[in-house]
Amino acid sequence: MCRILVIDDEEAVRNAVKRRLERDGYTVDTAESQAEGVKLIRSQNPPYDVVITDMVMESPTSGVEVLQAALSTDVFTEVIVLTAYGSVANAVECMKRGAFDYVEKNVPGVDVFELLSMKVKQALERRRASVATIRKIEQYHTPDK
Amino acid sequence: MDSGFGFPHHKCASEAELLARLSRLVTASPSSDEVLQRILDDAVLSCAAVRGFLAIVDHDRGALDVRYVSGQGWTEQKRLARLKASEETGRGITSLVAATGKPYRSGNVLEDPHYVPAFEDVRSEIAVPLIDAANRIRGVINLESSAPNAFDDSHECLLRAFADLAVISLTIADHRARESALVEIGKELNRFGDTDELLQRVIDVASEALRFEDCSLFLIDVATDKLVLRASRGPLAEKIGQATYDLGEGLTGWTAQHGVPVRVSDPPSDPRWRGRFEEIPASEAGAYMAVPIKIHRGVIGVIRVQRRKSPYDWLPNDFTDDDERMLSTIASQLGIALDNRRLVDQLVKAERMAAWGEMSARSAHMIGNRVFAIKGDINELEYLLKENKIDPQRALEILESIKKGIFLLEEVLNEFREFVKATQLELEEADLNDLVKQAIDEGFPKRSATKLTLNLAPKLPKIKADPKKLKRCFTEIIENAINFQPDGGEIKISTSLADARSKKWLRPSQQSGSYVQVRFEDTGPGIDLDKKPKIFNPFYSTRAKGMGLGLSIVKGIVEAHNGTIYENGIPGKGARFTILLPYEKEKPKGSSKDAEVEGE
Repeated sequence: MCRILVIDDEEAVRNAVKRRLERDGYTVDTAESQAEGVKLIRSQNPPYDVVITDMVMESPTSGVEVLQAALSTDVFTEVIVLTAYGSVANAVECMKRGAFDYVEKNVPGVDVFELLSMKVKQALERRRASVATIRKIEQYHTPDK
Repeated sequence: MDSGFGFPHHKCASEAELLARLSRLVTASPSSDEVLQRILDDAVLSCAAVRGFLAIVDHDRGALDVRYVSGQGWTEQKRLARLKASEETGRGITSLVAATGKPYRSGNVLEDPHYVPAFEDVRSEIAVPLIDAANRIRGVINLESSAPNAFDDSHECLLRAFADLAVISLTIADHRARESALVEIGKELNRFGDTDELLQRVIDVASEALRFEDCSLFLIDVATDKLVLRASRGPLAEKIGQATYDLGEGLTGWTAQHGVPVRVSDPPSDPRWRGRFEEIPASEAGAYMAVPIKIHRGVIGVIRVQRRKSPYDWLPNDFTDDDERMLSTIASQLGIALDNRRLVDQLVKAERMAAWGEMSARSAHMIGNRVFAIKGDINELEYLLKENKIDPQRALEILESIKKGIFLLEEVLNEFREFVKATQLELEEADLNDLVKQAIDEGFPKRSATKLTLNLAPKLPKIKADPKKLKRCFTEIIENAINFQPDGGEIKISTSLADARSKKWLRPSQQSGSYVQVRFEDTGPGIDLDKKPKIFNPFYSTRAKGMGLGLSIVKGIVEAHNGTIYENGIPGKGARFTILLPYEKEKPKGSSKDAEVEGE
């Protein structure tokens, strides 16, 4: 069962994303701040498969902080950053630091929830592929097993 | 007329004593009318004349006016008619003395070629000019006797002393008038209100005090680089806002272009003269003076004054160095005041723009999230319909959520509207206490656990206010106080004249004005120090979103009234909001024109 964490300071946003992703069969947790999100990420075992975080919460770079917390907990966690329309600079910064992708909250004429659902699917595939690759490498180094 | 100096009107007083008492009166009396009348009365008595008059030169009209009369046979009609003949013919002893600047005696007027008859009993006449320090003729004292050869050298000598005292009295009166004009103008410049009204007031005060009959003020319009008439006293008043000069055009334009004063005695003969917008027809135009209104970045306008030609060709009525100094002083004060206004306007606009910017950023964020959530609801609804999983109860829930989202969007829109409207005031005269009482009636719940204490200062000066908007400010603060004290608590509302402490919260340029204040104190949680700087920002709210205007709107409304609002309660002990609003000590003024928001 895939586990996803959604972090956003707007309740309406959290709930809408959670509802859509639950429809796809995922287990979805939510957090209402960068601090709460980071706390949840660090306390999970096994870690979240995907973390979806708002970019601007307590600080304009909250998304970056969440990304760092997620990757330092489990390098295979895939992070998708939500951004306000037209402000992609910080999101691009997240991509450089290893985020899976970013999604603009308000793209005119686009059903952003379907887009998000698709991105999550892709992120999970990448995660599976990465994990599989690592397993292979491990098997290669320990042929006895 | 008894001045209280108790000068006895009988001839036994020695001449020395007489002069000493008059000198004292000249020095001490606040009224030049009283002094001049007394000088004339004493002259008539001490020279044993049957009557006399004192004519004063009116430089603005270029005429001699019989201002004071003494002795037998005078009526108002006779006074006004006394110099008519000499004005029309240029003859007459008084005109002769004024023209030559020398005393004149006639022992037998019947054979005197200069004499123009006015009273039948006159046989001798003596006239002495009033000449000031600048060697300008200020008037003539004229005495008449029914005896021939009534006046000798000693009379002439005494009369010259009287004339000098009269000149001193006139000079003092001039200085007083100038001083009070400058003080008055200084006060005007500190008032709030409409700039055009201010300009007109300055022109009016200057012309009254300095007896400029025709005075006009032009300011350079930055957009067109032309001088535009902004205020005028005289026939040009009809052309305010329409009469314009190019820089360099005519004497007025020349002054603006070169930044130096111009004084000419016969404008039509000056090569620079164009005569496009004149207060006086060219044929009658006399002395002309224009001074530039200068500030650090250059000339911003011109004040000019003009006189009619004198009917007497001997009477020079051009403007003096004193006049120029005076007008230049007024011009420079006005320049500073106008520049100050411009800077304050710019500051207000800049603050407003910054507030707009911040508001836009916040609203974009809020709108973005709302729309995102609404799209989420629609996505869900669409899914349920397509998959045929729709359950009416579930659908209604989603619809309710969409409605709520749209309602919140409308609130953002509403804040935008209020923000724009905050500065569009409909001003009327209002009583602060009345407004507070009405706000309590409308905004304070009838059954409330909160205790209300009112402490309204009686007889507060009236303010210029938009009652509806101000009341909404008050109810907003009252509602906040109630909401933050769910378990009751207390609200104290007090009004008073603003004290020096409150006035420190005003901008420096506002601090010279007069203010009333209203203060709202509660016993709620107060406002944390770190939140204090933000509470007046748009969309800043710590309580659950209501339909309130928000303190940013309150601030906008108060500032549009040229007032201020601040909060200085102690965190943990309660909030304390104070609103300061200006009032006019006299001549109530104020206009919403300057405060309108731009670029709506």
